[in-house]
Amino acid sequence: MDVFNSFYGLIPVTIAQSLIVSFVVLGVMLPFRILSFPDLTSEGAFPLGGCVCGTLITAGVNPFLACFIALLCGFAAGCTTAFIHLRFKINTLLAGILVMTMLYSINLRIMGRTNIPLFTYDTVFTILAGPSANFPWTKILIVGLLVALVLGAMLYFFMSEKGTAMRAVGASPDMAEAQGIDVGTATIIGVGVASALSATGGSIMVQTQGFADVNMGFGILINGLAALIIGEAITGRQTILRQVLAPVIGSLVYYQLISFCLTLGLAPADLKFATGAFVLLMLALPNLRRTGGGVQIREKIRE
Amino acid sequence: MTTDMLSVTGGTKIFYRGTLDERRALDGLDVSLKPGDFCIVIGSNGAGKSSFLNAVSGKLPLDSGRISIDGQDVTRLNAHRRAQFIARVFQDPMVGTAPTMTIGENMLLAELRGKPRGFSYGLTAARRARYSEQLAELNLGLEKRLDMQVGLLSGGQRQSLSLVMAVSTRPKLLLLDEHTAALDPRTAKLVMDTTVRAVEALQLTTLMVTHNMEHAIKYGNRIIMMDTGKVLVEIGQEEKNGITVADLIERFHTKSDAIALQGA
Repeated sequence: MDVFNSFYGLIPVTIAQSLIVSFVVLGVMLPFRILSFPDLTSEGAFPLGGCVCGTLITAGVNPFLACFIALLCGFAAGCTTAFIHLRFKINTLLAGILVMTMLYSINLRIMGRTNIPLFTYDTVFTILAGPSANFPWTKILIVGLLVALVLGAMLYFFMSEKGTAMRAVGASPDMAEAQGIDVGTATIIGVGVASALSATGGSIMVQTQGFADVNMGFGILINGLAALIIGEAITGRQTILRQVLAPVIGSLVYYQLISFCLTLGLAPADLKFATGAFVLLMLALPNLRRTGGGVQIREKIRE
Repeated sequence: MTTDMLSVTGGTKIFYRGTLDERRALDGLDVSLKPGDFCIVIGSNGAGKSSFLNAVSGKLPLDSGRISIDGQDVTRLNAHRRAQFIARVFQDPMVGTAPTMTIGENMLLAELRGKPRGFSYGLTAARRARYSEQLAELNLGLEKRLDMQVGLLSGGQRQSLSLVMAVSTRPKLLLLDEHTAALDPRTAKLVMDTTVRAVEALQLTTLMVTHNMEHAIKYGNRIIMMDTGKVLVEIGQEEKNGITVADLIERFHTKSDAIALQGA
């Protein structure tokens, strides 16, 4: 029973962590699902947000302003990836890897070293919650409210005239262009917003964990993808509401699963392999199920 | 004299210029359409029909030449800017609509073609009512399925939806790119009938590319035959009445043989 007790005790901490990472999962979902632009920038945007925010906080900048500047930096990173893809016709994944790799140096330059401790500084959490800032439930409440706010805004946007146009870009770029939608601009803004979300996740993360580190983003993308896939398995993707909810629900479930596996005795060293194998399995599943799927699809076109 | 609704002068597009693979997709193309013209474009594969349509829609920027729509020079406008004048139905039913979005959302995208899009809520009750009304004319029951994903529709239903989306904004120019070619004969006829009804009711200036000679004869008031990126034969209103498929093919061959002889 020891195992369950320790898992049970970890639940609040894990919820807090998964809410923070759900920003990254939203940042993975938006290009991947809405824009059909598989993007890896998040892997660099997440630590970018953390490094910018951490550096600014230690420099005495207001934590809220620091978060906002981190968000803007993330936006710029995402726009860069999209621009590289659109302007130079470089594959989206490669463009993401290029930006992500260059961001590593930029993050180091911003911080001037590999790690900045923030324990002694005021953060968004200490400002809002004072001495109770370090309780998991305080973090859950604050981050949860922010996540709800972002979800509401995204949901409204994707049902607005502009948001519908952005979704059309991912659904069928030729059609979108024929309907007078500027595919390039929509893509750049969409991928920019996605990276801004990831950077926001990073900026919140450094404030809850008490330090910023250049290596903090390592593997976050695959975690995000795994969470997204779990979320979509639960909510489905039929409506935009389900699509927008999937990242948050997936993140909440995924991190509990990880926490459960770890308390059961999965070695942390094996975690990335396990996650990668899981994502691979989930992505491969539809292909394993229907052999000769191409024929079926063609049948559909001919009604 | 009325202004031409569409005028292409000296339209030229050369792929792989200066290499052994150089190919003249459009070679000094001159075409003009009067308002209300329903012009059929025919020609063999590689004649430049698709390049012509793509050049008009802005998807294929010209190397040289001019294009104007209703008197306005659009040569330098890119595709999404030209969409304010042009509506297009694609050959592939999968391309002309957004499959993962609902029928209502697709109608919304089409309604705002070429208009500014704001942050206000998209599918308002007033719009839904209007779309239902427009879709009811198809008699396919789509008006009751505004919240259904377009990907779940059959090819014929999707092409019909594409057509309603295209004509609902009364575009200055309607481009139909073999839009019934991917459909079975019965569905193709259904979509074609709907097309003709809409084009006539709204007096739309229309360019229709087809491989179907029967359609070429039956529909429209003009025929343009293309070959090697140029207009080879033009058949006007009077001449078109009573012309047969055999006549069309005959004229096409005579003309292209004559050119081949000249070249020799």
